[in-house]
Amino acid sequence: MPGGDFHPGLFVFLAAWILVCALGVVAFKKIMYSAASMVACFLGVAFAYALLSAPLLAIVQILVYVGAISIVIIFAIMLTEVQDGGYELFFNRQAVFAAPLAVAAAAVLTVVVVTSDIGQIGDTALNPSVKGVSLLLFNGYVFPFELVSLVLVAAMIGAIVLARREEEKP
Amino acid sequence: MGGTQYMKIAVALIVLLPLAGFIITLLLGKRFFRAKAHVLPVALVTVTAVLSVYAFEWVFRHPDEAFVWNAFTWVAAGRFTVAWGFLVDPLTGIMLLVVGIIGMLVHYYSIGYMKDDPGYYRFFAYLNLFMFAMFVLILANNYLLLFLGWEGVGLCSYLLISFWFRKKTASQAGKKAFLVNRVGDFGFTLGMFLIFVTTGTLQFTGVFSAAEMIGSGTLLWICLLLFTGAVGKSAQFPLHVWLPDAMEGPTPVSALIHAATMVNAGVYMVARSYPLFIHSDVAMLVVMIVGTFTAIYAAYIAITQNDIKRVIAYSTVSSLGFMFMALGAGAWAAGIFYLFVHGFFKGLLFLCSGSVIHAMGGEQDMRQMGGLRKRIPLTFWTMLIGAIALIGVFPFAGFWAKDEILGGAFVGGYYVVWAVGIVTAFLTAVFAFRLIFMTFFGESRASEEVQRHVHESPRVMTIPLVLLAIPSALLGMLVGWPPETGWIHSFLEPVFFDVEHEEFVWLGVGGGLMVFSVAVALLGVYLAYVMYIRRTELPGRLAARLPAAYKASFNKMYMDQVYEVVPIRGTIAFAGWLWTFFDVKVIDGAVNGLARLWELFGERLRPLQTGRVQNYAFSIFAGMLVLVVVLAWVWGS
Amino acid sequence: MNALYWWLTLAVLLFCIGAFGVLVRRNVIVVVMCLELMLNAVNIALVAISNFRGGALGAGTLFALFIITLAAAEVTVGLAIVIANYRNRRTVQTDQYDELKG
Repeated sequence: MPGGDFHPGLFVFLAAWILVCALGVVAFKKIMYSAASMVACFLGVAFAYALLSAPLLAIVQILVYVGAISIVIIFAIMLTEVQDGGYELFFNRQAVFAAPLAVAAAAVLTVVVVTSDIGQIGDTALNPSVKGVSLLLFNGYVFPFELVSLVLVAAMIGAIVLARREEEKP
Repeated sequence: MGGTQYMKIAVALIVLLPLAGFIITLLLGKRFFRAKAHVLPVALVTVTAVLSVYAFEWVFRHPDEAFVWNAFTWVAAGRFTVAWGFLVDPLTGIMLLVVGIIGMLVHYYSIGYMKDDPGYYRFFAYLNLFMFAMFVLILANNYLLLFLGWEGVGLCSYLLISFWFRKKTASQAGKKAFLVNRVGDFGFTLGMFLIFVTTGTLQFTGVFSAAEMIGSGTLLWICLLLFTGAVGKSAQFPLHVWLPDAMEGPTPVSALIHAATMVNAGVYMVARSYPLFIHSDVAMLVVMIVGTFTAIYAAYIAITQNDIKRVIAYSTVSSLGFMFMALGAGAWAAGIFYLFVHGFFKGLLFLCSGSVIHAMGGEQDMRQMGGLRKRIPLTFWTMLIGAIALIGVFPFAGFWAKDEILGGAFVGGYYVVWAVGIVTAFLTAVFAFRLIFMTFFGESRASEEVQRHVHESPRVMTIPLVLLAIPSALLGMLVGWPPETGWIHSFLEPVFFDVEHEEFVWLGVGGGLMVFSVAVALLGVYLAYVMYIRRTELPGRLAARLPAAYKASFNKMYMDQVYEVVPIRGTIAFAGWLWTFFDVKVIDGAVNGLARLWELFGERLRPLQTGRVQNYAFSIFAGMLVLVVVLAWVWGS
Repeated sequence: MNALYWWLTLAVLLFCIGAFGVLVRRNVIVVVMCLELMLNAVNIALVAISNFRGGALGAGTLFALFIITLAAAEVTVGLAIVIANYRNRRTVQTDQYDELKG
């Protein structure tokens, strides 16, 4: 069967895990709890990649998202510590409108997806292996690859410049 | 043909030389020419006069051909094309003689009259411009080009009337002339539109050949509208009010423009439109009535005026009325005949009056004059000749023309018109000789100072007087004899085809009328003699016995007041209302209101910009959702 | 019901939860976290489609890889901005970042 074996039970468990953690990110009052929730969510997503026969992506997900991005976010949280007393609301006033909008969006998009014919089996199946990805990366998509490295360098420099503390006058 | 080659050059030069004179004198006159500024314009005008005579001679030799030359296309806009085209036929020939010769003489006269005037160069420049415009007017072969000349002479009239522009009355007179003229021009323009709409062309040949097919209602309107223009330009009632005030301008201007040339433009235009008018009896009736009424109206006013130039001005209005009377009554050739001779003797009268004013050191009021006969004899004799020509006494020029007009009216059955004409002739004799007697006879009423300075004018002024006196005396006989079948009648045959000629009976109606009109004129002279020489207290007593009649005449029949009240005050009040209500409330209100509307929009929409990204993100997300729905709907179905 | 639909539904729900968080939370860092959730949702969708339908020799996976990389860069810079802003204003409340108001 294309796409590998589909184990419904596993899928449901995974889906529940991911969604619950996502809700946690959104709903927790304390930021650190949100952050932790986010990390758990990323782990879940990594597992999803594994299920979707993209092991490379799963590893990269863990390395980058869990290992780097989450750390950066936690650092930022620590550096921008606010006193807990400052919270009255933690959802802003837009929530009244955003909630129905989000629900509507979810409903609409789901309907669109489900009623489309995207589920027709394609001619090829299964995500490429590591070898396959590397073939793509260094042959056809080498240009974007180089560009992305450029972007990373720029981001790095930019971040350093932006976050630099002003020098104290001697 | 060799003949037309030279004609083309002649016609082109006739038009271009004065124009060149204008431009050069205007640009260089102040700095380079100064007191010699007259040399170029006068020389050019002299050449132009010679060329005019040449052109006339050409027509004389080719009486049945008309010289037509479309020099180049002026307007080409789809169906509407107008060429800068010239026409020289017998009618043009007559006009060329009048304009060319009298124009030249006036230029010479002006050298003396305008000497030492600070605007010397400007005067000659404007005179040349006037000549250019007038020639264009009479040489044009289509209505639009004629109108160009028409407007041009109107402009020059304005420029020259208000020549001494620092004098308030002069500049106001200039404006008045231009504005009143404009009213007439408006009618003329509408007439031209109508012509174009009905016939599809403005060329004379085209219009006239289509004349028979125009419906009588439309034709009537065309003729009446064109005539409106003539009423304005030729100072007929009710658009005559500008001409007396135009006397503010220098006398040569009055002589040239307001006697001999420009005011004739209206008559010329109607005569030129003969094929149109001849098909509309009503229009001709209107022309005749307006002319007749104007003639007697102006003569009635002239008998009480004290300014020497004003008398002659009203006389001009009256004479023009006579010409229209003739045209309207069907005596076309007679009308043009009168125009021809009138140019000479009226121009003479004006120039003589200028000479008198010059002698009197600038005084124009006849009540200050008197006894000048012995002091300035040349002026006296030439003016006397002019006056006799005016009142129409045998054998001088005015007699033949005026009598033919009156005869034509009588024979045509318009007895009332004839009667009015006779009364007008009587009044004309009265005021003409009143002028002569008051100015030249009796004891001098001027101050000692002025009397000492009375002197004859310089030769450059008196020679033109003499040169004009000769045709005033003799021209009538030369071209108009025998009556109804003289040279001028056959000359104008090609132009005024189809006009009935009555046989002139010497010993019958024709001769009888002649004698009667001369008698009437002499009676007028006698009356003037009695009132102003013999028993000079008479005018005063008469005025006291009939104060209303006197006042009406003296105050120009209150026309200026009528104009003041009805159109002028009304217009000013309307303008005021437009300003306070319309401009301030409506227009400003709309504009300001619009501005305030946008301001309001801005104010109301401002809260949308909260500065918070999440609000914007909300809008983006919602918009995206809508888009998805729409697209899914469209693609799904 | 094909397996793909399930995965896509998951992606949609995750996306919407993330969107809700972006729109609603007042702490800007939490907003960034929710933004990451949205990106992950997109990745899941890409990989799932690539898995079940293929096409372009598996460029779907590659695309997801690029997204992860760029997300990292974006988070870096974004948080640097937040920290710089925090230094000036001593707050991380989105409500109070309204300099461009009006």
